[in-house]
Order: sequence, then C-alpha cells, then structure tokens
Amino acid sequence: MVITRGLGPKLESEAQRIEEAARKAGLDFFDVVFEALPAEDVNAVAAYGGFAKRYPSWRFGMDFERLQKGYTYGFSKIYELVINGDPTLAYLVKTNSLMEQKLVMAHVFGHADFFRHNIWFAPTDRHMVARMEHHGERVAHWMGRLGRTAVERFLDRVLALDTLLDPYQPQRERWNPGAAASPYDLLEFLARKAPLEEWQVELVRMVRTEATYFLPQRQTKILNEGWASYWHSKLLTGGILDDSEIVEFSDCHAGATADTNGLNPYKLGLELFRSAERAGEDLFALRRKHNDLSFLDEWVDADFARTSTFFARQMVQGKAWQDVKEALLQSLAWCGTPQIRVRNLDAEPGQVWQLEHVHDGRDLHQEDAMVILGDLARLWGSPVVLATKLAGNAVEWRVDPNEVVESGAA
Amino acid sequence: MSRPAHRMATDQARFRDIVRGRLREDLRKYLQSSELIGRQAGRVISIPVPQIELPRFRFGGPGEKGGAGAKGKPGQGKGEPQDGENGVGGSGDQPGQHPLEVEVEIEELAELLGKELGLPRIEPRGCKKLWVEGGRYTGVAPEGPNSLRLFRRTFRQALQRTIASGEWDPADPRVVPIPADQRYRAQRSHPKPQSAAVLVHMMDVSGSMGREQKDMVRIQAFWTDTWLRSQYESIEVVYIVHDAEAKEVDQETFFRVRESGGTKISSAYALCRDIVRERYPADQWNIYPFHYSDGDNWSARDTKECLRILDDELLPMVNQFAYSQVKSVYGSGQFKVDLDHHYGEHEVVVTAAVEDRMGVPEAIRKFLQRGR
Repeated sequence: MVITRGLGPKLESEAQRIEEAARKAGLDFFDVVFEALPAEDVNAVAAYGGFAKRYPSWRFGMDFERLQKGYTYGFSKIYELVINGDPTLAYLVKTNSLMEQKLVMAHVFGHADFFRHNIWFAPTDRHMVARMEHHGERVAHWMGRLGRTAVERFLDRVLALDTLLDPYQPQRERWNPGAAASPYDLLEFLARKAPLEEWQVELVRMVRTEATYFLPQRQTKILNEGWASYWHSKLLTGGILDDSEIVEFSDCHAGATADTNGLNPYKLGLELFRSAERAGEDLFALRRKHNDLSFLDEWVDADFARTSTFFARQMVQGKAWQDVKEALLQSLAWCGTPQIRVRNLDAEPGQVWQLEHVHDGRDLHQEDAMVILGDLARLWGSPVVLATKLAGNAVEWRVDPNEVVESGAA
Repeated sequence: MSRPAHRMATDQARFRDIVRGRLREDLRKYLQSSELIGRQAGRVISIPVPQIELPRFRFGGPGEKGGAGAKGKPGQGKGEPQDGENGVGGSGDQPGQHPLEVEVEIEELAELLGKELGLPRIEPRGCKKLWVEGGRYTGVAPEGPNSLRLFRRTFRQALQRTIASGEWDPADPRVVPIPADQRYRAQRSHPKPQSAAVLVHMMDVSGSMGREQKDMVRIQAFWTDTWLRSQYESIEVVYIVHDAEAKEVDQETFFRVRESGGTKISSAYALCRDIVRERYPADQWNIYPFHYSDGDNWSARDTKECLRILDDELLPMVNQFAYSQVKSVYGSGQFKVDLDHHYGEHEVVVTAAVEDRMGVPEAIRKFLQRGR
C-alpha cells in the first residue's frame, strides 16, 4: 500500500500507478509513505540522518547549514530521502517537477524493496523512527538535569567512537541469538565494563544502537543505489513517463549516474546489475544475498572491468583491473574504517585496556588516533594501549586518562 | 507535526555558538590576515569556517599516499552527507564538500574585536541631526499595499467624488471606489537625531609601497571600519590614494591600484580637507581621517605644508587623525618622526608604526583605544 501526505491529487494518482507497476515487475516492500515537504524541511530531515526527530546536537546544525547553503546557491539539491522501516518513509521535495517526482518515487520503491529483502537489512530495527525519537527525549532529559554542555561533550566523545563496531555482529546474532560479544565491539565493551554513570551507559548503548542501524546502509551503498537506479530507469521508461518527459528524464538520470571523479555508487551499482542482467543472472536473488563487498568480489572480472567507467578510467592510467578491484575492495572492507579490536576482553576497570589495530597494509592517521585513544582512556578511567604498525614497524601507543589530548570538537 | 526546519533552529544556533567560540579564539589570526576582507555584504560578514569533524580512527599514516585511501569512499564527490546517511541522492554533478560559511553581524564581530583589544565605546561629539526617512505610520498616501489600506478614508474619498461628479443618487446610495480613491497608511519622515561618521582612508601608493604593505593597510582599514560601523548608526567611507598627486577612488581601486612615483603627502591632506568641507560639515559628522604610508615624504618643505594643513584646517574638524606607518624596504620612516616631534602626546593625533603583520592588532588598538 502507498500512503501519501501533502502530494496533491495528481502526484497521488501517479504514486498509485508507479506502485502498481513496481509490484507487477516483482518488487515487494512494506507500505510506503510519501510525504512532500519544502526543500528546507527535507534538508533538515537529511541533516538529521533521515529522521525527523533526534537528539539535540550541533553536528546536525552544521550539516543542515551545509545542505541549506548548497541548495540556496544551487550547488546541490536533494531529490529524495528514504528511511528503512516498516512502513518505509520517503520525503519528496515539494518544488521538484512532476517528472522528477515520478523518478524519485520509482527510485524509492527500489530502495524499499532492497530494505525489505536484502539480508544485511534483515537484523535492522524496522521501528527506528520511534526509537530515535525516544533517544532524543532521553538526551534532552539528561541535558535538562545535568546541563547541556556536560551531556553534549560526553555525546561528542562517544559519537567519535561510533565506527568501533563489528559490522558482522548483527548478522551473527540473528543466526545465533546467544552469540558471544565481538572483540571489535568497543562500544559494547565500554557499556558493559567501563566505570560510567548510569546515564552514560545508556547513552553509549544508544549511540551503538543508532550506528548499528546505519551499518547496512554503509555496507550496501553501491548495490542499494544501483538497484534503485535500475528500477527507476526500468519503470519510468516502461510506461510511466509521458512522451514529453523523455528528455528531462534522460538529463536527470544522466546527472545521477554521471561518471564522477571518485566513485559514484549510482553509476557503479547500475553497471553491476545491468551486467548481471545481460549474463542472465537472477537479479532478485543477487539483491537478496549480497553486500557491496561480496558482489564486487564475485562479479568483477576482466570483462566487467572493460565496460565499467570506474575501472576503465583507472586502467587507462596503466593500472591492472585486478589492482583497481583490490584497492576498491580494501576501501570498502569493514565499512571503510580501520579494524580495532580488544586484546584483553577480561580487562577490569583499573587495569590497562589493550587494543590492537588489525593492520592490512594501511597505517593509521596518528594524530586523530591519539585523540580517540585519549577519549577511550577517559571513558575507561585507566591507561589505554593500542598496538599497530607504522611504516612497517610494530608500535604501541599509550595514553593515560590524566594526560589526555583535548578533542578537536566543541 | 512541527516542521523539521524549525526544530533544527536550536541545533543550528548551537553550531553557530561553537563557531563563534572558534572565531573568538582565532581573532588574533584574523586581525593579522586579509581573509575577511571583501566578505562583507551590508551589515553581515560571512566567515569561512572549516568543517568541524569529530576525530576518528582512520587511515592515513605518513606513508599513506594515493593507493586505496585516495580512491574515495562511496558517496564522496557526490555532494552528499557523509555515509550513515539514509539513501540520500544528490544531483551528482558537483564536487562534494563546500567550505562552510557562517554569517556574523558586524556588531558581533566588533564586539569580539572590542573585547580582544580592550576598546572603549566611542562617545560621539554632540548629537547631529539628520532627516530620517520612514518612522511611524502616521501619514496617509494614495498608494500602498492592500494590507495598509484605510477603508473608511477610501470610501470617504469615493463618496466625495461621487457627490462632486453628480452621480450621487440618495434613492440608490451606492458608492464604488475607483483606484484613485484608495488611501493607505504611510510612514511620515521626520527629523531624528542620528550619529553619523565619515572615514577618510588615505593611502600612499608611491613606488615604495609593495604588496605586503598594502595588505597591512587593507587589514587596518577593514578592522577600523568594522569598529566604527558598530559605533555609529551610519557610516560613509572615502578613499584617497596619493603619490605626488592625490585623487579620490572607489574601494576596489583603493586596494588594487598600483601607482609609482614620488610622494607628496600634503596633496592627500589637502584633498581630504576639501572633501570634508564640501560634503561632510563638521557640525553634522564625526570625522576620522586615516593616513597610511611608509613615511618617505618627498621633501621637508612638503612635510611642513602637511603640518600646516593639519594644524590650521583639518584637526579642528576631526574627531581623530590617525597616521599608520607601515614599514617598507625603501621607506625612510621620517614622516612619523616629524609628526611625533611636532605633536608629541596630542589629543587628536595618533600615530603608529607597523613593522609587519604581527604589529597590525597593536596599531588598530592604538587608533581606537581613545574612544574618540
């Protein structure tokens, strides 16, 4: 079912028509709620990471400021915003043209299908909207009780740690509810063991829950966008577009799937699905089981590399496609962040906390690492040691909680 | 549901607070650089701030150049929010990160400046009366927006016209206003005391004033402008450049112009005097001439002429006369010596020597600390 808010009769009937076409083509999703908002509000929701109500933080204000400036000066605009959940929420920008709205709605149905069926999304909380709002109320409550600055500072400190998770832990827990805690899950370790106050423990778990919710989006960015682009293109050119809209559609689609300097997930994802389609693969099965890493690993070969602009651009510079692939996989592995694990899981408060960076050939940015280690030491209340390698030599960085490096933010 | 953009206001305000905090910390840096110049629009200055990123564990050791790290994470270069974002589609044809700009009101920047340098507020000399447009809506006008339409007045007008033109029929008392009958509430202009000031920036652009010297002048001019703007309700700025001759120029030219030749400072002082006499009568304006030079006047005779113009004509009109001597390789610096010798600790004349950028804040402080 599709529910609409503020769309007007014309768009509403288009939404019904596109939904019908999507279902007929085999897409399957939770109910989708489309809400049309002014650009300013969509920017605000986007700055909140897609959620209309979250905890108070200056960082959202900063992101909003940037999005809003980009929009005002015409550098960038957000077409759509879609939130994984049941129902799946999607925001449309009121001022977009009818064709753009149709494209966006078709795109959204692609995402909605991906959210529901890709296994990496299976462990996600489908009622995150309510949970985020609750988190917001909790933080506001603590701020009222303990003062804004104190809570904000602690929150910033914990947020800097929100990549210190095990991206595979949710999947493990799904298959094996009694799975042991992962040594890579530093947030969970802190929540369980660090000498923190009650509200601090709750806040650490909160940040962990939110970061965990966003994990699959980071793991499937390319496939998710590729899938949605594949479907908006297929549905729109399969009867949804009016003849007069073809040129506008082509322009818009070409913009979204443009060959940018870095990696455009829309483009690469679309290339992957189109190439799999030509090879006669079952696309629905692929979108169910893969994340970016596994699909690229399995699918990219010499043939694909030749047809993909991302690969071709680097191959003309003299790189072998294997090397380009290897570098791409490495940049996506572990969600693009360094792997940090706890060495002494049995550490008790008062003891030195020993961490290890699982070195994969790439050194850590030392300055930032020292700041984070300082944050960790303050939370842990005792010295923290990180073992890593620097230019091939094993090193150990140690930070005591009382000689802590001031964090850059706030 | 309340609008998300409205709820965002708190977070946005908090972010701006943090930026202002940074600005305060970095004010010394801004006082020595020309970064803020040209970023002013009306009473607002937009200041570029670097993104405030939370530190994280990330790749990028000393040996980590190019390779996988440079390949870009998904979503980069797409003008999108960072990852973790919920399927936000950018339009895809623009570079990713734009530097943020935060808008700060001149008053606020001036307040920071005042705190940093310990400046007293200026007491304007007497109250100058200027006619001010606008004010209270006590008048009536035949034109205006519908929201200010005077219903009764309009109909009274229409009635008058109807009767006068003989269309009035007591049996059928209809009055239909035509556009000419419409009456609206309007502002009435009236005299109001207002403090106004004029700044006259005079710069020596003779061959010995290099790029760095001009930059130091720019910075001083920017900050004294900012301060005086915060102290007066209205400000006008006059720019004069001189070598052996002086002429009035616009702001753009003032900072760009490249002249060469000798230096006759008296030419600038004479022009300043003429402009002030003609356009800014001293009983209505607070007058602030600033002169920037490397102090290498052409002849002792011209210096004498300068002192004569100052003593007899300029100084009696102005709030303060400031002379800033920026050091250059060629400048002798004699002019400041002459001024100081002549005036000593003078009530209206203030001089400063600026060796390099580090000295700029001190010069600004010297000029503004008297609160005149």
